[in-house]
Amino acid sequence: MKIKILHKNDVSLRLLIKGTNSAFMNTLRRIVLSEVPSMAIDDIVIIENSSPIRDEFLAHRIGLIPLTTDLDTYNLPEDCTCKSEFGCNLCSVSLALEVEAEDHRITVYSGDFKSENPSIVPVNLKIPITKLAPEQRIRLEAYARLGKGKGHARWQPVSVCAYKYVPTISVNQEVCNSCGDCVKICPKNILIKTGNIIEVRNINDCTLCRDCVKACQKDPKAIAVTWDESSFILNIESTGGLAPERILYAALNLLNDKLNEFLSKSREGN
Amino acid sequence: MIIPVRCFTCGKVVGDKWEEFNSRVREGEDAGRVLDDLGLTRYCCRRMLLSHVEIIDELMKFYETGKRKPVRPP
Ligand code: SF4
Ligand code: SF4
Ligand SMILES: [Zn+2]
Ligand SMILES: [Zn+2]
Repeated sequence: MKIKILHKNDVSLRLLIKGTNSAFMNTLRRIVLSEVPSMAIDDIVIIENSSPIRDEFLAHRIGLIPLTTDLDTYNLPEDCTCKSEFGCNLCSVSLALEVEAEDHRITVYSGDFKSENPSIVPVNLKIPITKLAPEQRIRLEAYARLGKGKGHARWQPVSVCAYKYVPTISVNQEVCNSCGDCVKICPKNILIKTGNIIEVRNINDCTLCRDCVKACQKDPKAIAVTWDESSFILNIESTGGLAPERILYAALNLLNDKLNEFLSKSREGN
Repeated sequence: MIIPVRCFTCGKVVGDKWEEFNSRVREGEDAGRVLDDLGLTRYCCRRMLLSHVEIIDELMKFYETGKRKPVRPP
């Protein structure tokens, strides 16, 4: 297996992976989506809410705010030694929100939360939660916990985790009359016409839609889009709570644990 | 009612981008260009801002002209 980083920043990662198969890639994708834990608000105690937004609506919005996640310090509530429904300081973080509008309309933002642990805070500080008219008030306490994407989408550490085959495009210069129809239709501007030749650039951006093949009037087609079934482009976009490479490592560790468990259980059963 | 926190389809946070989007588009900038600037590349996220109407602003007027909404007992 060969891996090359195509693009990487704080929240997204794009890898070119060669020499594997779609079963492995899909395993990885599904573990990232549904098993890698991340922090989100799970329980909320509303003391006062006179805002135009109802309590349930408010709780739902607050739950969806991504929080910075610390996988090394915190335990999943089901694995925590406290075994308590209310949690302890190893499995739960409390965040308080107390805002009052005085004489003019204000917006309550995710950044108004005061966290008991300064390393567990909302990733984006400017998410509007609600608006308050003069004299309206919100007072609430929220409890954040680790959870998994399979429990609720708010615990999914990524907004995108997807892969595709690596495309290959070939133009048969003997058949092609360089009419340019394929160039015009390509949504990703992969094909360019230089003189009488159709050239391919940024091929990794090709979505494999094959519109270029459909657009070609020639019979047989002068252009062919194929893919290599053992090479993939994996795209991970984090919600910001965890770095994308950390998400990938966590997913691989989880896969490893699952396989080890399978191995030891199957030996026991023997 | 109020800008959703995340994109309904992919789950990317879009809530924090609304205010900038709204003010820049009102000033006459091209919406597509603003969305590109904000890093919303997928059409699922782009429609979240493009099709949004901030109705809460209308609703607020009722609270501002009327009297204070009764406070819920603690
Ligand atoms: S398959 Fe689609 S994206 Fe790829 S080159 Fe053809 S038209 Fe462009
Ligand atoms: S549409 Fe077909 S014939 Fe026309 S330029 Fe493209 S490949 Fe060549
Ligand atoms: Zn605990
Ligand atoms: Zn989206």
